[in-house]
Amino acid sequence: MRDSQMPQPVGVVIERLRKEFGEKVALNDVDLTIEPGSFVVLLGPSGSGKTTLLRCVAGIERPSRGVITINDVCVAGPRTFVQPEKRQTAMVFQDYALWPHLTVRKNVAFPLASSTRLKEQKNQRVDDLLERVGIAHLASRYPNELSGGEQQRVALARALAADVGLILFDEPLSNLDADRREQLRIEIATLTREAGATAIYITHDQSEAFALADRVGVLNHGSLVQFDTPENIYRHPTNAFVTRFTGVAGECPVVAVKSSDDDHFDVWLPFAPSHPFPALGVNCREGDSSLHFFVRASGVLLNAPGGDKGVCAEVIDVAFNGRGYEHVVKVDDQMTLTKVFSNRRFERNANVKVSFDPSFCFVMAVPGRLS
Amino acid sequence: MVDVSSSTASLATPESPPARRWTAKNRFSLGGTAIWAVLFLLIVAPVGCFLILAVSPHVFQQGPQWFTLTFIRQAFEGITGRGIFNSLWVSTLVSFLAVSTATTLAWLVHRTNIGARRLWSVSMWLLLLMPTWMMTLGWSDLLQPFGAAHAMGINTRWLYGEFFGPLGIIIVLTSSALPFAYFIVSAGLQGLGPEFEDAARIHGAGRTRTFATVLPIIAPALLSAIAISFAETMSDFGVAFTLGYHAHFPLATYTLFSAISNFPANFSVAAVIAAILILSTVPPIALQSVVMRRSKSYAVLSGRTRAPRRREFGKRSRYLVSAGVGLVIFIALGVPIVGALVGSFVKNLGDDSGGGVHLTLSYYAQVIHPSIVNNSLGSPLLLSNQLGLVVASLTGVMAIILARRLVATHGGWSQRITDTFLLGSVAVPGVVLGVGYIFFYNLSFITHHVVDIYKTLPLLMLGLMASALPGQTRFMAGPVSQLQPSLSEAARVHGANRFRTWRTTNMPLMSRVLVWGWLLTFTKTISELAISQILYPPSQEPASVTIQSYLANFQSGTGTAMTVLTLVEMFGVIALALGIYRLVTPEGWRRTGWSVVD
Repeated sequence: MRDSQMPQPVGVVIERLRKEFGEKVALNDVDLTIEPGSFVVLLGPSGSGKTTLLRCVAGIERPSRGVITINDVCVAGPRTFVQPEKRQTAMVFQDYALWPHLTVRKNVAFPLASSTRLKEQKNQRVDDLLERVGIAHLASRYPNELSGGEQQRVALARALAADVGLILFDEPLSNLDADRREQLRIEIATLTREAGATAIYITHDQSEAFALADRVGVLNHGSLVQFDTPENIYRHPTNAFVTRFTGVAGECPVVAVKSSDDDHFDVWLPFAPSHPFPALGVNCREGDSSLHFFVRASGVLLNAPGGDKGVCAEVIDVAFNGRGYEHVVKVDDQMTLTKVFSNRRFERNANVKVSFDPSFCFVMAVPGRLS
Repeated sequence: MVDVSSSTASLATPESPPARRWTAKNRFSLGGTAIWAVLFLLIVAPVGCFLILAVSPHVFQQGPQWFTLTFIRQAFEGITGRGIFNSLWVSTLVSFLAVSTATTLAWLVHRTNIGARRLWSVSMWLLLLMPTWMMTLGWSDLLQPFGAAHAMGINTRWLYGEFFGPLGIIIVLTSSALPFAYFIVSAGLQGLGPEFEDAARIHGAGRTRTFATVLPIIAPALLSAIAISFAETMSDFGVAFTLGYHAHFPLATYTLFSAISNFPANFSVAAVIAAILILSTVPPIALQSVVMRRSKSYAVLSGRTRAPRRREFGKRSRYLVSAGVGLVIFIALGVPIVGALVGSFVKNLGDDSGGGVHLTLSYYAQVIHPSIVNNSLGSPLLLSNQLGLVVASLTGVMAIILARRLVATHGGWSQRITDTFLLGSVAVPGVVLGVGYIFFYNLSFITHHVVDIYKTLPLLMLGLMASALPGQTRFMAGPVSQLQPSLSEAARVHGANRFRTWRTTNMPLMSRVLVWGWLLTFTKTISELAISQILYPPSQEPASVTIQSYLANFQSGTGTAMTVLTLVEMFGVIALALGIYRLVTPEGWRRTGWSVVD
């Protein structure tokens, strides 16, 4: 039954979840605990298993192994499988999944069919939701008469209409243009939090993930490689994949490292063999030949060539982004830095000096190389 | 706010796992076994046992030989040999003629602003429903000396001799294959977004190069159309039984029928011809199947579906092209209808006594009060309607189950077998099924130990179902495969159980195809000739058999009037069913999903 006026946020616990499609392992022993009321974003590239994980939580896919508990009730386990309609969830689909034969109003009203509310209350609820997502004037239209953004608003209203404690989002903004994406992202964040529901949202867009999430889970090859707050993931990535996937300006192999304190190291790079760069070490050992130096875009400072600070570099490209300029800078053959921001424009082929903020620099082993 | 405990309590109690696993596994195996058992008894066993006779008549006591190639040699000699040869070259020519005409028509209807587009699409449906023996009758009435054309003041004497030969056979069979090819190519064109053409044009391709670039994208549809047109033409019985026979131009389906209806019946030669009919359709259908698998189309039916852009003809070109399409449709559909209509209202059609043209209703009166042949149309038509009702309904249910199995994403071996089986079954002509049924359900083992339905109405009904099922399943499979899985998933996630999901999501989107599939089988069953002619029980003739007996007894006026009434009744049922559908279904059901004018 779906008759609560305001949903109680629910917690989700996933234990050793595995899903195989024939030979292919889509999810490999994933453990994840989602606190009630939190907005969790699962971030990963295509094929990382994020959609499969979401579909397992929804009950659309049956896990090969592992346990899923929603609100302390096991919904999938070795001896259990609760059908999707009985899990008290709602979902916004990537392709919106609006029923083309139903009007906007009927699409939104669908989850209320099994509610015990009076008909007037249901109608009122639908009106309120359509108003809130800004499509009240489209109530009698059919989905194919709407734009992509409008269709996604209908899908969002339908998910909210369900009045459930857990809302799932399957890359809901991936089919929209940049402006609409930004606008709808804000509405999703606001309305979901207003609704008081727990949210699991999947995306491959790091900026979308950081903007929306209370906590971000990064998936790679079916495994959850890091689950933390956006700030911690940005400042303390646990490995090279997370670092790269959450945005780096550049990386290069290191010449040598030396521990300076607990987690920090002095790093010698090929283009400045006599000058050590401080960086946060992640699973870093002196003498490890697979170590790479990574720097976030926000940790790169661009200076005029006359100054004392930094190493010499050349500007390859510059682009105006409204707030200032993003530069592509070549430090040497092994390191090119992208998305280097400066309020000042440095022209192409200009010589500049580059310095690094140690709090956004990391040194860590890169898989696939001998250590 | 609702407290946590109430939320927890409202979550469903998990299903008992061991029971569920047992149930699911057994439901699958029971369901699968049941389907295969039905298909085995309907198609595989009768046809398989019959075909064995081609080389081993002794297996079923039809001759002394355990293994012989004699009947294969016999089948390629004399009239049967000519029948096989004629069928092969005529079917090849017809399939190419039908596909090239259908491709042009489909492009004009779906991709240009040609006038009366709905009319052309609906005409194709009417053509699909029209059996070839009715077409032949209309053409004959029109072209015969002092026939319907003469009654209208048109001299067609020069064409009559040509029509009663390969030319007439090719015209009628091409008209008959045209709608199959048209609908397949239309589906292919709709999957072909205008962006492909735009991309070619933008990158410098002229019209010809654009066409050559885009054409391979619909190659699977074209191959499909050729394969199905070829199979349909090879298996046609109506033309072979009427025009082919009268024109002394034997076709394989008729020589097969002759082999078992002559005395003594030669089931072994009939089996060889049947095997050749089936085998001849294997290469094109297998090729089409391979190409289709390599280029599986994307699901296109969703709330985001957009219509393709059309090429705009100028005013004059638009009229000219529309008139051209109208002429093709008139030749295929209008001529036989006009011929039959005139033939049923003009007295002594074909009589050169010089009495002039006299309109009459006497043929229609004889339909109700028969004179020579002691059988009115009433009870045969009623019987045909009853058969149509049962066959269409049962076949519809089975077809939707098979179609879902056919398009399942993770169907595995079951899907592959279903696919292969249905592809193969499309190539089994009705006449082969009919003869297979006569043979199989008369075996003493079957009559004594399995089921004794030989020479009964249930056997005829089963034969009609077996004949309709493969085509009906293929017809349903397209729209079923276009249903976005996320539509059902969304319903389930938002609280709908399996039944409600089907009722509120799948059924509305499938409703039009279900209605049209039902109507297609219903009307095809009423007008079916091959199986009806072979399997009808004594004194229980379906309408098509009664009409043929009138025509064979030189009562062509009455036979033609019966044909017209049957046609009117068929189209009346269609109009009634569509009217009811329009009245009782919500607007959204009629706006989305598969459409007859797509």
